[in-house]
Amino acid sequence: MDDLRTVSKDVDANNTKISAKNVQVYYGDTHAIKDVNVEIKERTVTAFIGPSGCGKSTFLRSINRMNDTIDICRVEGDIRIDGKDIYDRDVDPVQLRARVGMVFQKPNPFPKSIYDNIAYGPKIHGLAKTKAEMDEIVEKSLRRGAIWNEVKDRLHAPGTGLSGGQQQRLCIARAIATEPDVLLMDEPCSALDPIATSQVEELIDQLRESYTVVIVTHSMQQAARVSQKTAFFHLGNLVEYGNTDDIFTNPKDPRTESYISGRIG
Amino acid sequence: MTTQHIVSAFDRDLVGAQAKVMKMAGLVEEAMAQVAIALETNDLAKADAVRKNDKAIDALDEDIKHECARILATRSPTASDLRTVLTVMSISSNLERCGDYAKNIAKRTTVLTNATPINGVAAALRGMQNAVSSMIKDVLEAYIQRDVARAEDVRDRDNQVDEMYNTLFRSLLTHMMEDSQNITACMHLHFIAKNIERMGDHTTSIAEQVIYLVTGEMPDEDRPKSDLTAFTTPEDLGEA
Repeated sequence: MDDLRTVSKDVDANNTKISAKNVQVYYGDTHAIKDVNVEIKERTVTAFIGPSGCGKSTFLRSINRMNDTIDICRVEGDIRIDGKDIYDRDVDPVQLRARVGMVFQKPNPFPKSIYDNIAYGPKIHGLAKTKAEMDEIVEKSLRRGAIWNEVKDRLHAPGTGLSGGQQQRLCIARAIATEPDVLLMDEPCSALDPIATSQVEELIDQLRESYTVVIVTHSMQQAARVSQKTAFFHLGNLVEYGNTDDIFTNPKDPRTESYISGRIG
Repeated sequence: MTTQHIVSAFDRDLVGAQAKVMKMAGLVEEAMAQVAIALETNDLAKADAVRKNDKAIDALDEDIKHECARILATRSPTASDLRTVLTVMSISSNLERCGDYAKNIAKRTTVLTNATPINGVAAALRGMQNAVSSMIKDVLEAYIQRDVARAEDVRDRDNQVDEMYNTLFRSLLTHMMEDSQNITACMHLHFIAKNIERMGDHTTSIAEQVIYLVTGEMPDEDRPKSDLTAFTTPEDLGEA
């Protein structure tokens, strides 16, 4: 039984993709992330859970340097992707964000056609030389985003005309188009209905074959459903990090237990 | 976990399900005590009452399963809450089986009143019965107190019940070989002994559930087992 589960869930899950050591994040005088150490495995879905304001989104945003855009925000410590310090002086944040894609809470397609939504990133990064190559990237990305069949006949219709769930899968396809290794998702389903949520969850499970996915979610059931590893944050601390199965059946820290079982704590 | 859920109805659900298990346990203990008296005193009215009362145990089991399904569907319990629901379901099944065994003993009591009494068997059965009753009493206490040490102790004691059963099995076999007139009574007495031995196994299973509930880990399977009757032949009796 154990073996079956390991085979189906932990595909290539042994290599560390993202390694964080002694990470501190400050917003002005506020110490938002306190000494977080975590090793995120390659081709694994890792869920960050915790009450509002616990720092999970802040930590997620420091993985592709989105916090750089906030003036008063300061990140200390060491975050490495494939062993490379992403806060090193020679790292271009724009290039980094092509490799570390991000999907947000509310679907935010560009006010452009479906085709252009996908083509935008590859164009900027010069990933396609010809129209044919770009067509290929668009189709591949939409297929990986599990939305190709729904939009293939209207690629030049505006992306904003799609349903919420379709828009979110379009945004995931857009994030994939620049061929990232890592996908960060900040509550990707909180604005979606249950059916669209299931479709995005199914997509996340497929994406695990090619990408390292880190997802912030308020839904503990979602974390339990889609992730293999779960990290619980509380008041800026990483309280517990481990296999999702263990966290939800037998957590080691009483704070984790209190939170996931819906108690005041 | 002593703190309350934010949704207080969740606490009431969990407390309610566990209260039903305790109520069921009380009925099973009573059935075991009554059927032992019925067997010793040939009290057919008492045996009949045990048979009738098993319906209440079965109904509670069904009620508990239904309640647990509702909690799983509506509350999505996790961690110790999940283990609470899972162990309630499992313990309920164990108790329901114990109730069935008591009922079966009550049925056989009716036949045994008309059969030849077999020397020494009543005392041996009483010994088994007492051992299992005290195991059940202790395992329920361990459940209420979430006491792993006590549950482990209950688990280890099943060995003694198995040994008593072995001895009785051989003695019944001897009686049957000596006089074929004894066969009817001995067969029924053997099934009664086997029923009590199985109650011991179910009690052990409850003890394991208590350990799982508290620690989150199922204990190892390699506890000592002493029921050797599956391999016992008449030829073995000479060696004893």
